[in-house]
Amino acid sequence: MSSTTDPNPTNIPLGHAYDGIHQYENPIPGWWKQLFVITVLIAPLYLLYFHVGAPGRSIQEQFQAAMDQNQRKKYADLPLLTADAATLMKFKDDVKWTEVGQVIFETNCASCHGAEGAGVIGPNLCDENYKHIKKITDITKVINEGVAGGAMPAWSTRIPNQNDIIMLSAYVASLRGTNPAKPKGPDGSPIAPWSADE
Amino acid sequence: MSQTSLTASESEALEQFSYDDAIVRLFVTATIFWGFVGTSIGVLVSVLLVMPSISDMFRSDIGAMLSFARLRPLHTNAAIFAFAGNAIFAAVYYSTQRLCKCSMWSWTLGRLHFWGWQAIIVVAAVTLPMGITQGKEYAEMEWPIDLAIAVVWTLFFGVNFMMTLLTRRERHLYVSLWFYIATIVTVTILHVFNNLVFPTGWSKSYSLFAGVQDALMQWWYGHNFIAFFMTIPFLGLMYYFLPKAADRPVYSYKLSIIHFWSLVFIYIWAGPHHLHYTALPEWASTLGMLFGVMLWMPSWGGMINGILTLRGAWHKVTTDPVLKFFVVGITFYGIATFEGPMLSIKSVNALSHYTDWTIAHAHSAALGWNGFMTFGMIYWLLPRLYQTKLWSTKMAEWHFWIGTIAILLYIIPIYAAGITQGLMWRSLKPNGDLMYSFLDSLQQIIPFWWTRVGAGSLYVFGVLMLAFNALMTWMSRPSKYDVPVYSVPRFSKTYDDPEIPKSGLAGTPVLELAAKLDALSKFDWHRRWERLPVRFTIAIMLAVLFASALELLPIFLIQSNIPTIATVKPYTPLELAGRDIYVAEGCYNCHSQMIRPMVAEKLMFGEFSKPGESIYDHPFQWGSRRIGPDLARIGVRQQSGLWHWKHFEHPSVISEGSVMPNYRHLLEERLNYQEIEKRVRAAQFLGATYAFDLKDSADVARKQAEKVTAEIITQGGPVEYNGHLTKDSTVIALIAYLQRVGTDLFKPEESAAPAPAQAPEARNTEARNTEAPMAVSISQ
Repeated sequence: MSSTTDPNPTNIPLGHAYDGIHQYENPIPGWWKQLFVITVLIAPLYLLYFHVGAPGRSIQEQFQAAMDQNQRKKYADLPLLTADAATLMKFKDDVKWTEVGQVIFETNCASCHGAEGAGVIGPNLCDENYKHIKKITDITKVINEGVAGGAMPAWSTRIPNQNDIIMLSAYVASLRGTNPAKPKGPDGSPIAPWSADE
Repeated sequence: MSQTSLTASESEALEQFSYDDAIVRLFVTATIFWGFVGTSIGVLVSVLLVMPSISDMFRSDIGAMLSFARLRPLHTNAAIFAFAGNAIFAAVYYSTQRLCKCSMWSWTLGRLHFWGWQAIIVVAAVTLPMGITQGKEYAEMEWPIDLAIAVVWTLFFGVNFMMTLLTRRERHLYVSLWFYIATIVTVTILHVFNNLVFPTGWSKSYSLFAGVQDALMQWWYGHNFIAFFMTIPFLGLMYYFLPKAADRPVYSYKLSIIHFWSLVFIYIWAGPHHLHYTALPEWASTLGMLFGVMLWMPSWGGMINGILTLRGAWHKVTTDPVLKFFVVGITFYGIATFEGPMLSIKSVNALSHYTDWTIAHAHSAALGWNGFMTFGMIYWLLPRLYQTKLWSTKMAEWHFWIGTIAILLYIIPIYAAGITQGLMWRSLKPNGDLMYSFLDSLQQIIPFWWTRVGAGSLYVFGVLMLAFNALMTWMSRPSKYDVPVYSVPRFSKTYDDPEIPKSGLAGTPVLELAAKLDALSKFDWHRRWERLPVRFTIAIMLAVLFASALELLPIFLIQSNIPTIATVKPYTPLELAGRDIYVAEGCYNCHSQMIRPMVAEKLMFGEFSKPGESIYDHPFQWGSRRIGPDLARIGVRQQSGLWHWKHFEHPSVISEGSVMPNYRHLLEERLNYQEIEKRVRAAQFLGATYAFDLKDSADVARKQAEKVTAEIITQGGPVEYNGHLTKDSTVIALIAYLQRVGTDLFKPEESAAPAPAQAPEARNTEARNTEAPMAVSISQ
């Protein structure tokens, strides 16, 4: 229980004192002012460069250019292929190209067939049993057209590049006989080994 | 309260008042309590990320609440509204009274504010885990809670604060008060506009805005909430408590003026930098970046003024834990406000966006700046509020060191995680193929997540030490608090401002303009403003509203900003119900629905998202973090209903290495078809058109559910589940929604012709993932 007078002493260097808090009139650091001005000046320059309609500078145009370049890389030294048995047989043993197929597989197929093709919801692709496939070209057919009431959808519309489909088919063919970590039980029935016969 | 005997003439000249410190004690206690709760939930969600299978151990309806996606909003909202909020209030109620030499205008409003705010937090803490959410980050609380926030914030807190300013006995407003005014005004504006919704019941509403517009509104809100709730009021706190604790004058008055106004003017513009490379028009994104970069120095103005105020008091820092907390807090503010502008640069953001980098950035600010400024303030306040010595200074020291180590242990691995994941996503093989799958990148960062569990626990331990110290200090309080009564001369109504000194350039041979600029830069005009709180408040409000209008209105009014796509149609009744589940479960906390125009993203997720694709999305669900893969094209990428069914049942079995928890409750629960008509009516109110009688909504939905289910059964799924038919499961609606997401863009224009009533049948039209964005028509 006490009574005091004004809680705020009033010795005032700058004419300001609030609850005993004083303020100096120190100068603002020069580098602070300069950087502030620079960050402001960047704005019109940036706008001039990117937003006055010069071609090729918008995000979408840059993306399109990069995408085109990316798409050219993969099949630069390959013609448009046909999915015949000989082609598939050739590419299934070519590691350089099964790696391409593997990426397509991991992006699109792994969610149902597992990253190693051991089967999850979709069947195991590493064993000797197949549900809708009798010969190597059936792989391409199933991928392109789909089976099982849409459980295996038609990928021809989703993967428009036919070479992609062929590399994917070749990779799937190459999975046969591999030993994944957790194989799903066999689906379908055993079929003859892959052959180049149509 | 004691009365002193004064003579009649004295009492005429003097006014008496005492400070309401009881309210400050309440807010400090609440701050500590919610600080513990908020950080503990943070640890809980960090554990759920590394051990998602925890929810498997519970009954599915209980386990549903133990998902990262439902609890993360609780963590963020508790940290912001409960912990930071109560800390702000404690600071405001303590300092405002002293800076204005008066008591709070209404002690009753103060109590209403306190209890109202705590009630809001409790209701939010109950409803968020139940999945009652608006689905927008930091604005998750449903509309009745939002109304309560508006009332408590504006009418109880704002009015009380402004009336206190108007009844003050200090002529000029000190810097802290400017920051408090800006906080109260701006938070009100942000909160009201971002929470404009169309309610369909007490626990469900739809944002009035959709897609691009909703996204812009949300990040205008989100960014500025970080500014005006987590930064501006804490700068006000710093300007009061730091010079008090250090007993040093503030370094520069002029700097405080410049950095205050530049923050107020610039902050509001910067929101769109949270939406770089999204479907937001590029000009808006550019504005967000340029103003974001401009914010660097205005933010550092506060840091400089804080750190340089300690000149001549550094020896005190070695012995005083309060100052230690402040120094490290301000340092983290400096780090975070350098990083913020850096992350707002598009090319940096291209790497950081959707990764843990953002999480590390947010936590260096929240744990370092907000946390440590709050702890410093509380340790300074405890002896003054409880009128005794702090129970243990040594323990406070320990809290400081443990907290600092915890922050570093948290942010360094999470920065590493963010950059790792960002780099892995964009890695391409020489032939242009993706180097890593999404799951590869996820597996790579899980060890970093484990260190976060430890670091977070350490930080919580620090908060517990604070709580214990506060409790012991409270125990040794006097039996009755001393409430001093102050007598000060009556505040005279009239006041003559000192003459503004003429510019030294006046009369010299320079342009008149130069002389005026010189006078302006001396800031004597600002001194006059400082005694006019109403004008000051209006100036802030105009600055904020002006910038907001310039940035938001074009997106809302000029149609070319969002080109419509002819094939994008409203969601069917069942899909709407499914989308509501998506929102309620908080899927956006882990999944984005916004593919950026980047090579790696296109290869990983599909065609980039277009502005016209989300025009029926109330609220937008673009997300801000990819703990799981992007879902903007999930309907194209995964059509199999059976896959979705099994994946919701056991995500990690279907997708090895996934950290998604199970959603068995969605399989076990039955969908409430009676609710569907309300949803469809809301969608129609918000702009969707339907060809069928809305009364038939439930039947239309049932038909589609049967079709979706038939497919699942054909593919080998169950006919019955948990005692009901598969088609009655809640999850069927969610699957229908997921099968639809991102497919409209590729539909041939003809299939747009059948009325949306037939949409369920039209749904299975094969999606076409072609290069050309088909059927995109731009209507001007």
